[in-house]
Amino acid sequence: MRKTTLVKVTLTALSLLSGCFYSDSEIYKVVPVADDPPEISVVTNLDTLYNPSVNDSLEVIYEVSIENGDLYFVDAVVADQTIHFSDTTHGSFWIYPDQSDETELDTLYMDFYHSTNSNSLADIAGYEALITNLKYAIDFSQEVSK
Amino acid sequence: MRNTGRFITMILILALLAPGALAQRTGFSASFGMASQRMDDLKYLQQYILDTYPVEGRITSSFPPFSTGSLNIIKEWYDHIHIGGGYSYSTTGGKSSYSDYSGSIYTEMDATSHRLGAFLSYSILGGEQLDLSLYGRVDANLTSVESESAINVLGIINRVYNKYRTISPSGSAGLELMYKFSGFSVGMVAGYLVDLPGNLTNTDSDNDLTDPNNRDRILTADWTGWHIEIKTLIWLNF
Repeated sequence: MRKTTLVKVTLTALSLLSGCFYSDSEIYKVVPVADDPPEISVVTNLDTLYNPSVNDSLEVIYEVSIENGDLYFVDAVVADQTIHFSDTTHGSFWIYPDQSDETELDTLYMDFYHSTNSNSLADIAGYEALITNLKYAIDFSQEVSK
Repeated sequence: MRNTGRFITMILILALLAPGALAQRTGFSASFGMASQRMDDLKYLQQYILDTYPVEGRITSSFPPFSTGSLNIIKEWYDHIHIGGGYSYSTTGGKSSYSDYSGSIYTEMDATSHRLGAFLSYSILGGEQLDLSLYGRVDANLTSVESESAINVLGIINRVYNKYRTISPSGSAGLELMYKFSGFSVGMVAGYLVDLPGNLTNTDSDNDLTDPNNRDRILTADWTGWHIEIKTLIWLNF
């Protein structure tokens, strides 16, 4: 009887062996302490113009100043289409009449993606961004050039 | 390594052919407990990998004493001498990690030792019920190390998995204190295992696991350390 019990206990102990292989479920959790967000300023040649017109073409020149952070990329969109993409702090691109179906005003959106300084894993890996938006009304009417 | 295998085989054959061996009792034993291990190279590798994290991670475990167990067939050679052989295993591992709202990064290393070997124990203090024995054991030690690193940033996951293996000779010695019942014994085993660690080799590529700071040095898994176990011994023909 005692031997039977002993065999049962031994077999039970052996069946639990798989649960005795090493595992560590602990995760080191961190609440990142953010630094101040970057200070960004953007200057374009459209800043002083009121509803600049495309006519044959319109050149947009921009320059980004960013302190305590990194600019990841610049995205310029007209009529839901990207017309310019760059990862440099200054550049230029052209807008042409056929880039919009509008016969009057359409909007040029410029998005500047830059670091957050949140000190999170995504921020340090360059996968987390703040977006600074600019938008300009652009005149696509052809009468102006006639 | 081949010599170690031959040595173990020779001991097992000698045990079976030993004078009077067939006339004595046969049994089996199972033991389970904890074992420490040096694992200097794997701790070093763990720290190296942690230093490559883009954020400040932390080691949450670094090859701590963990479980060990053994299953053996035992032959009573003489009243005070037992011989036998069987399987033993030990396991441990290490983990480093970091997690915040945006993602996580971790490296987990699992090391397992599978040992096949032979042993001899000699009773130095035997009584009606208590028995204190010295034992020595030699094993062929197959070590398997699995390493997985993963980074998850905003749902974008990148994972690296590697498996390494090595075979090395090991030996251990220690004391057994057993309390005898009719037909079985229970007790404790404590001893020290010395491993002669072999080079870790990637099971897929056959490349050695080299020291990232010194490509001429190959990393090893060293199971040298203390162990303490609870043991049950059951005689089959008493």
